[in-house]
Amino acid sequence: MTERRVVITACSAISPIGHGKEQIVESLLKGVSGVTTLREDDLISRFIHSRVYGTVSYPMTYDFARQHRKTMGPVAYYACQVAKEVLAQAELPSAFVTGGRLGVAFGSIHGSPTVQRDIYKIFFEAKDKASYQGIGAVDYLKSMVHTTAVNISKMFGITGRIIASGTACTTSSQSIGYGYEAVKYGLQDAMLCGGADEYDTITVAVFDNLLACSTAFNDEPGRTPRPFDRARDGLVVAEGAGAVMLEEYEFAKKRGATILAEVIGFACNSNGGDLILPNLDGITKTLQLGLENARINASDVDLISAHATATKMGDIIEAQAMGAVYGKDPFVAALKSYMGHTMAACGAIETVMMLYMMQEGFIAPTLNLEDIDERCAMIHHVPKLIEHPVKTAAIQNFAFGGVNTSLLIRKSI
Amino acid sequence: MTRQDIEKEVRNIFLREFEVENPEMEVNLREAYGFDSIDAIELLLEIEKFLGTELTQEEKKLAMDIRTMKQIIDYIEMLAKKRKTATEKN
Repeated sequence: MTERRVVITACSAISPIGHGKEQIVESLLKGVSGVTTLREDDLISRFIHSRVYGTVSYPMTYDFARQHRKTMGPVAYYACQVAKEVLAQAELPSAFVTGGRLGVAFGSIHGSPTVQRDIYKIFFEAKDKASYQGIGAVDYLKSMVHTTAVNISKMFGITGRIIASGTACTTSSQSIGYGYEAVKYGLQDAMLCGGADEYDTITVAVFDNLLACSTAFNDEPGRTPRPFDRARDGLVVAEGAGAVMLEEYEFAKKRGATILAEVIGFACNSNGGDLILPNLDGITKTLQLGLENARINASDVDLISAHATATKMGDIIEAQAMGAVYGKDPFVAALKSYMGHTMAACGAIETVMMLYMMQEGFIAPTLNLEDIDERCAMIHHVPKLIEHPVKTAAIQNFAFGGVNTSLLIRKSI
Repeated sequence: MTRQDIEKEVRNIFLREFEVENPEMEVNLREAYGFDSIDAIELLLEIEKFLGTELTQEEKKLAMDIRTMKQIIDYIEMLAKKRKTATEKN
């Protein structure tokens, strides 16, 4: 099968530390945390031990027509906004956008929990037919797991293939990876890829009940999560969205597109076992497969975006895998330290942040990394901001279910 | 319930639910205002609220051919008359 080169021609993110390049770069440079106090939901929030959340707390304004809004829950608003920005930035010809050679790879962990909650409320409380009819004709369209992908395709008239992975924390890294493969092997000429998740206390409750959430810094939200730090005590759930435009290299070059980076490799595998516990063999294998797929050596990688959720075991296993595969040379960024774990969006948001750092020539330090856990010391941590060119980078993400991904990107073409 | 009452309520529904102000009487609602099958289902729910009665599946299916404001008003007028006749017979 012929392999084509794939480049990134646009990117955008809505994150707890800002919306778009200017705000996000400023937050990374200044060490601003986007973690704040958990909002009350009048349902389950009062029972949750973890009182922190990576929140998009700045006002968002949208300009979506009613015909689109009616099938969109909060998660689709985030998704469509970053998609809109990426399409505007890429400046693809409108005939191409609707012509069938552009597809969408986009996902969320479980559609819109806000809408689902409203449906369940009726489900449990409906006393008569009138209240049953409160379940609107569009509620499924707002809450289904592929709501982000199809609302994007509807809003912009995109007619190519739809990939809507829903693999928890690897959702959007899979979106980019499978989008990359679709373009690489000629199935599409461009793919709009990413992921989104909205504010959701149910996700916090799930991790809280698994004792995986941070609880020790409830009064000082900005001091958690603490990837690789000895005092880390768990992850912080967050919200946001990220998107990139992938295009076939010759097509992008011919039309004079700005090329931000090349995607040079992708790997995805499964641990084939426990659905929750991190697996050293599985993760190590993913990192090796990513390098093999990119046809580069570990020593070629300058910077790794670690999944680094700040759980006790997850960080150790990941550090061991990175140490075994990459050694101590490449810098390791732990971007969740700024915003928490944006769930389905994390792979895409972290890719966008890596692109920004590549463009601006700096490496954001890991926030709250004050005392490196010796069990995580076999990698090159970045406790302070450094100016450093980044040519080749790896972005790795791991999910419940035992799914692992590694994405490799390179700045120069 | 007069035809004018029905028209007034339908215009209210269009403004409130579909953000369409004063839709024209004879234009194709899909072409002019992007009114689609999802909107049609929502409109049927609004009509049920307005008439204060449930529509039968057969009545709902009749609505699937509606394309204009005038046809909506005709449809509601027909439903209202049907219910009035049924009430008088009882």
